[in-house]
Amino acid sequence: MDQFARAPVDSVDGGVPQVGTAAKVFLKYGSILYINLKNQLAYVWDALGRAFFIVVILYIFVQLWTAVYASQGSAVIAGLSLAATIWYFLVAEMIELGKFRHDVRISSEVKDGSIAYALVRPYHYLVYHFFNGLGETVMRMGLVLGFGLPVALYYGGVPPIQWATVPLVLLVLGLALLLDFIMASAIGLLAFVTEETASFRLIYQKLIFILGGLLLPLDFLPDWLQGPARILPFGLVTYAPAKLLVAFDMTQCLQVLGLQAVWITALGTGLLLQYNWAVRRLAVNGG
Amino acid sequence: MQPIDQFHTDMNPESARAQMPNRAPGTGALAVEARFVRALIGMNLASAMEYRASFLTQIVFMFVNNGIYFVFWLLFFERFGNVGGYVIHDVYLLFAVVAMGFGLGTLLAGNTGQRLAYLIAQGRLDYYLVLPRPVLLHVLFSHMTVASFGDVAFGLLALGFSGYHAPVELGFYGLAVVAVALIYTGYMTLAGSLAFFFGNAEYVSAQLNMAMLTFSLYPHGLFGGGARLLLYTLLPASFIGSVPVALIQARSLGLLAGLWGVALVSCAVGAIVFAYGLRRYESGSALNVNV
Repeated sequence: MDQFARAPVDSVDGGVPQVGTAAKVFLKYGSILYINLKNQLAYVWDALGRAFFIVVILYIFVQLWTAVYASQGSAVIAGLSLAATIWYFLVAEMIELGKFRHDVRISSEVKDGSIAYALVRPYHYLVYHFFNGLGETVMRMGLVLGFGLPVALYYGGVPPIQWATVPLVLLVLGLALLLDFIMASAIGLLAFVTEETASFRLIYQKLIFILGGLLLPLDFLPDWLQGPARILPFGLVTYAPAKLLVAFDMTQCLQVLGLQAVWITALGTGLLLQYNWAVRRLAVNGG
Repeated sequence: MQPIDQFHTDMNPESARAQMPNRAPGTGALAVEARFVRALIGMNLASAMEYRASFLTQIVFMFVNNGIYFVFWLLFFERFGNVGGYVIHDVYLLFAVVAMGFGLGTLLAGNTGQRLAYLIAQGRLDYYLVLPRPVLLHVLFSHMTVASFGDVAFGLLALGFSGYHAPVELGFYGLAVVAVALIYTGYMTLAGSLAFFFGNAEYVSAQLNMAMLTFSLYPHGLFGGGARLLLYTLLPASFIGSVPVALIQARSLGLLAGLWGVALVSCAVGAIVFAYGLRRYESGSALNVNV
């Protein structure tokens, strides 16, 4: 696939000399995203099979939360109705099941040495991976949404979404994916030190499950845990986009955007330092 | 209990065979096969423990993995009290049963489900076919999922929290989890054997595995109608979760007998489908090395 990725990049550099540098960069990484998306469409049956699991998960959540709302005798719990909760879980699962596993790809490239080939290509290694993964993420999220939609519509009815706020939620979602990419890439690059990174991935995934609001919206957590969970980056990846879509609140949205900016800056700087250190440490032998 | 675990070790059954005692005159065939299986398990264990750090890491992280779901239920019950007729102690027992049953199954007979489908699709049964041992038994017990030690340990911890410590309850628990392990192994043998008929069945068997585990870890009372029927038939998750829990709580010999009946049927169906599928098996020309 990497060989194909070169073609549009070269054509951009050589064929459109009049466009500015920023446009060239945009076209280059846009082409990477587009090619990965096309690659995924070639294996659409495989992706369809993977996406189908959302039906099982969502069905179980619907049964669980229907029982909870019935037992509590309340139409709204912590500001969320049953319908909003069902749609919340669809969006949260869409993010979790749809997002690209950057750590797996990067650690694999570190372990088998193929990172050496990627580094000599005319793109930034990390930016390439972000856009490459984005193509697959878009398609997988679309499929998960496609499978989950009938279940959510059947049990939750029409989604309680304020359509005018969708662009803001999409911005939060985009930053959430960037934040996830930063944390996952940092885990992947740990392969330079530990070689095996599966255990770190497992811990990160489980933090997303609990502190990220995948199994339980943060609003349902006990007070002592809600505070830290709202500030930590895990909730900004999963909980924030899902909650804002089904129960938008401008104050919360601004808080989320601010926190995302802070975490992206802090963790992004850390990732760049880690990357620069790792690249200096890389030793390539012929063969 | 990770649906698709990435921690596997293989062993060479030849080594195990070398350690097997010769058949003593008058010894039954069943005893010989039992010794063979025991030797395979012993070699799997020795192989896994060769890499101590990896061995311990996998176990600890599987333990942590299961612990997160535990945390979820703790937070859940702290907030909502009870659900589907279950309180927190019922969930402890549910985890004790599922983690131990699933752990025993994948620990001892690790070549089921997705791995079995892979072996079939890749033509890797050739190795087993030329050796004078029952093919299915040999294949199933030639792999140990090391991380499942974490499941087994977690099952014991959950049992400790559950409060079901009376000797009779422990007896019911022991018999129930062995039946659960057999049901799971039989079902996942069937799932993996689908590769004989569909070619690539890795993904289907992985999905069935995930669905079985996911449904088994939720209170049975949540599901009704068609879903409940499904959980007792095509996707028998109730038999590895809620039924064993109910029989331990009720100390019901009738339910225990029924669960063992299901276990035997599950193993028989798995073995029959594998044997039938084996007739359709086509070898490949790829060179495979068993390490």
